[in-house]
Amino acid sequence: MRIVDNMEVESDVFKENGASCPSEAGLKIPERMIKREQDRLEDVERKKEAKKSQSVTEEKSGFFTAAFSSERAAIEELLVGCSGETDRTLATQTLEEVTTRTQQLQKFLNDSMVFLPQYVLSRAQASLQKLQNSLAEKRDEILPKKRFAFRSRATNTPKAGPPSADPVSVITSKDSAETAVDAAISPPEQCGFSHFESQVLTKSGEEIKQQDVLLTHLTNCKVRLLGSPSTVHIKHIQNCEIFSGPVSSSVFVDHCTGSTLSFPCQQLRTHHTTNTQVYLHVTSRAIIEDCKEVRFAPLTWTYPGLDEDFKVSGLDRKRNNWNQVDDFNWLAVGTQSPNWSVIPEAERRTEWD
Amino acid sequence: MGLLTILKKMKHKEREMRLLMLGLDNAGKTTILKKFNGEDVSTISPTLGFNIKTLEHKGFKLNIWDVGGQKSLRSYWRNYFESTDGLVWVVDSADRLRLEDCRQELSSLLLEERLGGATLLVFANKQDLPGSLSKDAIREALALDNIKTHHWCIIGCSAVTGENLLAGVDWLLDDIAARVFTAD
Repeated sequence: MRIVDNMEVESDVFKENGASCPSEAGLKIPERMIKREQDRLEDVERKKEAKKSQSVTEEKSGFFTAAFSSERAAIEELLVGCSGETDRTLATQTLEEVTTRTQQLQKFLNDSMVFLPQYVLSRAQASLQKLQNSLAEKRDEILPKKRFAFRSRATNTPKAGPPSADPVSVITSKDSAETAVDAAISPPEQCGFSHFESQVLTKSGEEIKQQDVLLTHLTNCKVRLLGSPSTVHIKHIQNCEIFSGPVSSSVFVDHCTGSTLSFPCQQLRTHHTTNTQVYLHVTSRAIIEDCKEVRFAPLTWTYPGLDEDFKVSGLDRKRNNWNQVDDFNWLAVGTQSPNWSVIPEAERRTEWD
Repeated sequence: MGLLTILKKMKHKEREMRLLMLGLDNAGKTTILKKFNGEDVSTISPTLGFNIKTLEHKGFKLNIWDVGGQKSLRSYWRNYFESTDGLVWVVDSADRLRLEDCRQELSSLLLEERLGGATLLVFANKQDLPGSLSKDAIREALALDNIKTHHWCIIGCSAVTGENLLAGVDWLLDDIAARVFTAD
């Protein structure tokens, strides 16, 4: 229908103009058509303008590539320059600057992520990664990492005169402190026993009172903790008897041999332990790792005040999972781990001195 | 604006973050996770494997991965590195005997390329214990000041009382958001 209408209109126009030059009339474009074409062109132009005003120059991948690579080149230059640097502080400063500028570059890349094509993005990411690697290398080369060591208090006090500015001497004094780690590691405020042989060691409820207790380097000792600690660490123990009141959270056992342990606790974590008996009340779970010949039985040891201490610890007296032991070196479900076993009832200890 | 751009913007709007929680065994990782989520912490067992929690906080959807810290599990940590936005390193502040272990494990993690873009939050946990080291002592013991490759922050906290857990996570979210979601 429409086509027919148009044809009629055109034939009208033809009639109007036809008088002057009928032979050209077929080629001549009617005015209305010209107008329409102009409108169309203007519209295209307008849309182009609008688009242009929307897109920001910073959002062109060309702009990004240029800015990114020039900054990267600048950083690389800085990095190369600092390798010849002999002055330590100056080199450190340069490295700091390189680090911050690299981070800024990363941020620039992150910000631009939304409009970048995948290829440009991955290229930029890769070159940034390379930059970070060479920065790390350079840092290791210029400023080798110092090893951590506890600073022993004893070495600090007798130091006479102003502290030496020579970095080498500082490092050696740290090294010597490292040998004194064991001494520095047990500060006076720590509750527990360390480095005893053939002794009976007891702590009262007053002394323990929800503290964290540390027992290390004990041989042939009898340890009794008659209270409720919040947590207990037991390490480097040989042929000892260690009994404790209810422990609110975890007991951590490491490097223990030929010993008998007994306590209620929330968790028991046992490592590198061999030939050891554990009389246990555990409300969640006991685990062993790198252990051999560890045997478990339910807790029977008691002392006056145990009931009271159970209340303080907040442990559930009715829940005891003493025979559900997870062996982290034996993840096969359904088969018993060869590293632990239950003490047969006939062999269980009933006399507790 | 192309279709791809729109899709990318939509993805940003979801504001999802992936947090990976690691540390030596007995550090309190699972306790932190459960406490943060308002669950009971008295029944927690040593983690044999891993726990995942998805929770909403401050308008972000957090996927938190808590992977067991036993020595025999540490070789599996690498399986969880991919697309991690934030690394939460949990330290038992009362475990003086294993601080050197703790430092070594952390420093080898920070060399991992796949964790290169992650923000590091160190929780000096168990501050409720009288024998615990302060967060400054932990910071020195772990040589945190030598870290130049990651944004990091150390916060003393207690998973048992819940103290400072929010402060730590809020810092982590702010730092990640500033890096990842700046386009909005």
